[in-house]
Amino acid sequence: MRQALHIFKKDVRHLWLEIAVTITVAAAFSFTGARRALWLADPATNRTAAWTMVLILLPLSWWTLIARAIHGETLLGDRQFWITRPYSWKSLLGAKVLFILAFVNLPMFLADIAILRANGLRPLGDALPGLLWSQVLLAIVFVLPIAALSALTGGFVQLILAILAPCVIALAVAIVVPEVVLGGFWGGSEWIRTYYVFLVLSVAAPAILVWQYATRRTPAARFLAVASAMLAVLGATLIPWSAAFKIQSWFSKESAEQSLAYVDFESSRSWLIRAVLERGDRVRVELPLSVTSLPRDMSAKPEGFSLQLEAPDGAKWQTSQVLMSYPSDMGQEFSLPVTVDGAFYRKVKDEPIRVRGSLYLTLFGNRQTARVPIGDQPVPVPHVGVCAASGGANPRSYFLGCRSAFRFPPVLVSYRFIQSTVEGAENVWISPQPRPISYSPFPAEPGIIPVSEDFTFSIPRVAPSEASVVTVEPLAYIQRNFEIDNLRLADFQRNAASVLP
Amino acid sequence: MTDMLRTIDLSKRFRKTVALDHLNMVVPEHSVYAFVGPNGAGKTTTIKILMNACQASEGVAQVFGHDSRKLCPGDFTEIGYVSENQQMPEWMTVEYFMNYLKPFYPHWDTARAAELLQQFELPHDRKIRNLSQGMRMKAALASSLAYRPRLIVLDEPFTGLDALVRDELIGGVLECAEGATILISSHDLSDVESFASHIGYLDHGHLQFSEEMRSMAERFREIEVTLASPSPSPISLPGAWLNAEQSAAVVRFVDSQFDEERTVAEVHRLFGKTHQISVNPMPLRAIFVTLAKAGRKAG
Repeated sequence: MRQALHIFKKDVRHLWLEIAVTITVAAAFSFTGARRALWLADPATNRTAAWTMVLILLPLSWWTLIARAIHGETLLGDRQFWITRPYSWKSLLGAKVLFILAFVNLPMFLADIAILRANGLRPLGDALPGLLWSQVLLAIVFVLPIAALSALTGGFVQLILAILAPCVIALAVAIVVPEVVLGGFWGGSEWIRTYYVFLVLSVAAPAILVWQYATRRTPAARFLAVASAMLAVLGATLIPWSAAFKIQSWFSKESAEQSLAYVDFESSRSWLIRAVLERGDRVRVELPLSVTSLPRDMSAKPEGFSLQLEAPDGAKWQTSQVLMSYPSDMGQEFSLPVTVDGAFYRKVKDEPIRVRGSLYLTLFGNRQTARVPIGDQPVPVPHVGVCAASGGANPRSYFLGCRSAFRFPPVLVSYRFIQSTVEGAENVWISPQPRPISYSPFPAEPGIIPVSEDFTFSIPRVAPSEASVVTVEPLAYIQRNFEIDNLRLADFQRNAASVLP
Repeated sequence: MTDMLRTIDLSKRFRKTVALDHLNMVVPEHSVYAFVGPNGAGKTTTIKILMNACQASEGVAQVFGHDSRKLCPGDFTEIGYVSENQQMPEWMTVEYFMNYLKPFYPHWDTARAAELLQQFELPHDRKIRNLSQGMRMKAALASSLAYRPRLIVLDEPFTGLDALVRDELIGGVLECAEGATILISSHDLSDVESFASHIGYLDHGHLQFSEEMRSMAERFREIEVTLASPSPSPISLPGAWLNAEQSAAVVRFVDSQFDEERTVAEVHRLFGKTHQISVNPMPLRAIFVTLAKAGRKAG
């Protein structure tokens, strides 16, 4: 420990300028982040340009500092003075860890506390788990990868090339096969893929660091780095969404008994079936389905489906798709859009086909309503954070916004403005925009900004008397199967132009 | 006398290039071992493997009797290593460099460190990046002698230095290294012949010989034989006779295993009657030239 402290002191002396820059940027982050808490009420306090710059500069300053600290005792080569001195690799690694904790993690920790407090959130209360977990994520996302790459490179130029090379490969993939990069957003379950990558990173990067510091056998460590990167990318690309949903179902708060919900084909609404010919030789088949047997206080949100179309001659079409449905789509009846290959469609459209599928649903319940007075007074809202409603700069426009610590709320949020009428009844205006949600069980999402903001506004004719925030909680993630027999797609064929969007 | 350094069948390949080929070398304790050979012979590679700075392809390198791959920080408190191409912490001043290293060594002698800085006339407050090559070597050497290491390893320490600085460094090492074992590599024999007790000659990754200087000086003799009458030289000379030349009735060669009685008897057996046999001792440089030529012919 004494040797680690001795090396740490040397690094502080050597890298004082880099440290000063990093701390200055962290202070600017803290200042602009705290000021942002006021900008809805007072646009004059807005520092968007500074905020944007800080968000770019902050990781750059960390990476520079980390790389400089590790390259101070380069692990590559056989000419460094320190390798023939009585350095203990554990002390050396310990010194670097201490350095990063002191000048990357600690300033960020303090900045987060300041920003949370300015936003009316309680960093040492409700937000404490998120505050601590965000430090873990900071290490996994921003520190460990660059530390591992620095341990595998001999200097800045090599490091930049090591960072650029995978970026160039990713760019090439994005150009050649864009669907690999863009085609698979998993909605609320996206965190599973993210955490899979984090898992690979959090195992591989420390392993590379320990291996390099203990042995300095760079070729083997580089091989491990490339293998880990491939494992992360291939896993993230190849894991099927249905497998992720199965993992998500482990986090159900209520047991998903089979009797809880059924999915049925709405044969009485067969006029809703469509087979729409689209560009690119594809056909969008829309199937009306309904979710039945749900308790009154629960609602279902379809998250995705897997489906198989079978023709009498045995020809099959299989697909598995994620649905980008929004809370406004929620309900017990909905239309399932299935994109089918044009050639398959032409082959089977005049035949009675069988459709077999599975629908993946999130069941929501525990509806709660929090009243928010108009007057810019923050109100704590369970599962969300704090919400406030204000008249805004324009007297006729009204804002309602919520701030959450470190992540989007783990509940579905909808905003309402309430207008009291003379007769005593209430008119309610509901925000139509989709609100973001993450089903992640972790108290923080990866990212630099400690406060996630969400707001809506209205320009009503009559001034609202108050606002409210309604939340429903995801309680269960379930899979339900359904079957449709003797469906002749040609009967429902439409051209894209003839169908309203 | 125990062995401070030993290599056993040590080999190192860089892709297809063989830098060391089954090297077997021993550096006895308290010796000043001159490790000489032309540039690219494999001296630095050998030393780097001994210092665990790089890995051998085959074989074993031992320091203080144990595998160099297992050298621990404790071992390095007893090793002083200085190399011409060592990367130094350029941003440090000489004084900070010495102060920084001090806590790493339990036997650091502060007074001695100050003496060394004074002796080498090193400017305390100058950054290492601003030192001349000679000054850098002096700083590296001072930082490696201040803790009285048992083993001092100097890899081409005199390259690029003028004679004055070289003599200062040699003086500094010998003065401070009492009782220590020194391994010093050089491509220039004259750098080391004045103070080495042992010598090893490496060429193309092969150790041509390794022995005490004194015994080598006794072993090599330049022999000039004046024959009674010119005659064709014998078809095969003993392997220990190197660089044999004949002009008319005079035959010259270097006997690398000289023993007066045996050598004279062998000359008479091979050449018959002779007018004169003159035996001349050889300076170290001449021995090396002979060996280098013989090696080239054999190659």
